[in-house]
Amino acid sequence: MQGITKRFGAVTALDSVSLEVAPGTIHAVVGENGAGKTTLMRVLYGAIRQDEGTLEIGGKPVRFANSAEAIRAGVGMVSQHYGIIPALSNLQNLILGAEGGPVLNLREAEARAESLARRMGFKFDWHQDATELSPAGAQKLEILKLLWREARIMILDEPTAMLSPADSDALFGSMRQLTVEGATVILVTHRLPEVMEHCARVTVLRGGKWVADKAVTDTNPTDLAQLIVGGALVAHEPPPARPPGEAVLSVQGLVVRGERGNDALKQVSLEVRQGEIVGIAGVDGSGQRELFHAVAGVSRPVSGTVGIGGADATKASPAERLRGGLRVIPEDRHAEAVIEDWTLEENSALGLQRLAPLAKGGAVDTGARANWAKAVAERFKTKHGGLNMPMASLSGGNQQRFVAARALEMDPKLILAFQPARGLDLKGTADIYQAIREKCDAGAAAVVVSFDLDELLEHCDRIVAMNNGQIHFPPPGQEKDRDAIGRLMVGAA
Amino acid sequence: MNWRLPALIVGILAVLFVALTLAKVNPIDVVTTLLKGSLGTPAAISATLRETTPLLILGLAVFLALRAGLFNIGAEGQFVVGALAGTAVILRIPGPAGIVLGMLFGALFGALWALPAGWIKAYRNGHEVITTIMLNNVAALMTTALVAGPFKDPKQGSPTTAVIDPSSRIPNLYSNPPVNLNATLLLGLLMALGLAYWLRKTVAGYELQAVGANSTAARFAGVDPRRVTLRAMSASGGIAGLAGALQVMAFEGRFYANFSPGYGFNALGVALLAGGNPLGVLPASFLFGMLEKGGTSMQISGVPKGLTTVLLGMLILIAAAIRYRRVRVVA
Repeated sequence: MQGITKRFGAVTALDSVSLEVAPGTIHAVVGENGAGKTTLMRVLYGAIRQDEGTLEIGGKPVRFANSAEAIRAGVGMVSQHYGIIPALSNLQNLILGAEGGPVLNLREAEARAESLARRMGFKFDWHQDATELSPAGAQKLEILKLLWREARIMILDEPTAMLSPADSDALFGSMRQLTVEGATVILVTHRLPEVMEHCARVTVLRGGKWVADKAVTDTNPTDLAQLIVGGALVAHEPPPARPPGEAVLSVQGLVVRGERGNDALKQVSLEVRQGEIVGIAGVDGSGQRELFHAVAGVSRPVSGTVGIGGADATKASPAERLRGGLRVIPEDRHAEAVIEDWTLEENSALGLQRLAPLAKGGAVDTGARANWAKAVAERFKTKHGGLNMPMASLSGGNQQRFVAARALEMDPKLILAFQPARGLDLKGTADIYQAIREKCDAGAAAVVVSFDLDELLEHCDRIVAMNNGQIHFPPPGQEKDRDAIGRLMVGAA
Repeated sequence: MNWRLPALIVGILAVLFVALTLAKVNPIDVVTTLLKGSLGTPAAISATLRETTPLLILGLAVFLALRAGLFNIGAEGQFVVGALAGTAVILRIPGPAGIVLGMLFGALFGALWALPAGWIKAYRNGHEVITTIMLNNVAALMTTALVAGPFKDPKQGSPTTAVIDPSSRIPNLYSNPPVNLNATLLLGLLMALGLAYWLRKTVAGYELQAVGANSTAARFAGVDPRRVTLRAMSASGGIAGLAGALQVMAFEGRFYANFSPGYGFNALGVALLAGGNPLGVLPASFLFGMLEKGGTSMQISGVPKGLTTVLLGMLILIAAAIRYRRVRVVA
């Protein structure tokens, strides 16, 4: 791949990025979220088309209009979100989309599937429903799907994100087996130990640009971490001079089961005190979401405790937590934070509907709600066509302003924010963090999850990093040290 | 104004015209018969309102569930179960006390009949459409068996209960046979107003509708969607069961096999046609009542009654087209 450039509107996702992979090797592509790894891979397997740049496979220039063409040319990808349909059997999943004709010959298919699996050292019960698959099994089935389609170049996007260490090792064993047979594996990851142990070369991307390309033997985790997060240091404000107050959030030994039965949070403990903004850094899928949901009360931990405002809230419902002063800016605005069919005014009460002055006993105070909606819209200058217009009539950025103001303006004690400035420009971002700061100065505490380390460095008092379901604390004095946190994020401490 | 809606209406009129032509009748005659049969005389209006009454209350039941995001296809079953339960009580306790107890028992059994569907939906994510349809069949067969067995009036040949005492009848507000106006219609009207108030002005109503519109967002907002689902389904069944008991006390005077001519199913159409406002159930149920009564007159003059069903289906299509419009982003 030479000089690949891809723009989405005004955003340049890839800026003249080049990637050269030797056949029969495992090649790692590393970088932060938003560095352009996945975009580059999507260009390679034809899911999106580059604006500039050329692609060559085996010395021949190629251009894919779609991923079907890519797969015919022998390029396949396993994405982070597996394309496995639980209701179908393993065999049906395997051949889906590549049945080889209008009439299914399941016996023949099974024989071929079995021989592929044996070659890789996998074992499958082909007639079992795919729901029964473990995360590792699903990953293996995805790899077999690529082999079924005779892929010679396989792209694996964060294949070990859901796997236990033993399963990961087995997976890398299979990958090596593939390369021995002449296939080429491109591994997108942010786990440096994997890169060091299993890969031949590594390409580093940052902010959509090519940064480095090294043989793994010529580098080390510290170097790579520095390349990934960039050497440029941000001017840090000094830590707050005032003494930290009472603990507002106290999480102890929290274990949460993930969607695939793995431990998404492994014994996480965190304390957040009055007056401070704590940032949680980490690449997507490191357990931030599970921690966020457990604190918000929408998911139940397997073990461990959550304390809010000094009281045990482990068993408290979201409603009780909201009454105790918890205010949430959820991650997925569309699904979790607003009701798009409802008016702005109706949306302004969502999550606050049982609190005074919006509720009087069990009744809705519509007068108070109208005033409140006006205040919410004005706080961050939400542009709207009237408070009785549906939320769907607002752009994403304006919805975000509205949602943030709703969470921040009604007496918050603990602010829980997942990318609170999502979709906003620099000014809008600064306004929202400024508002969070004001509330914390007035005695609240805030936990902010973001995939953008720079945003956290700029606005938080201290930062902790999550990696693989665990929380890591930077050494004393380095709570805002870019390199220290960058290393923790990728598990290279 | 976009062109799609007028096009839809024109298309629907064309379908109706073709249907009427195939039935070899004059469209104008049909419309006149329909209107005369339903609104032409005081007696016709009175009969239309009698048909409207159960449709109104059942429509409110289905509407409430719909606001919580639930399709209560089971209103039919809840209606007959409530009717039989109410009758069983009223036959033993006559007078005003019996009326009140009959209503309570009708509502209670309707709610109980809806409870399994609500529970399965809330805690096992089993679709309420499937479970309520099945419960309808169970309700129909079970009430038929009961009214042929333990609840059968020995003096009657057909499967029916005894007739309830005149003192257990819900009185007419106005009576000059054949023109009657029963108090139950007024009760339905008050229920519509009450539901409108409850949905708009109470926190519980707000939360119920939040679950119906986006249950994930509701969960983040401190609402337990499972509990709301369970309660909404039971309440919907309770209202449907109440409608059943009222039907006995106001009009039928007894419970018998095949008690409902499909009121519970028509109520689905009523609730869909009502749009987003419970007060919309009032005109919608009246329209359904009109077509029901007018259709009977049509049939007498030789036009198949099924045509009114065709018309209703078309009306619901138009209502859906108006309701599910895409919102334009303005800011």
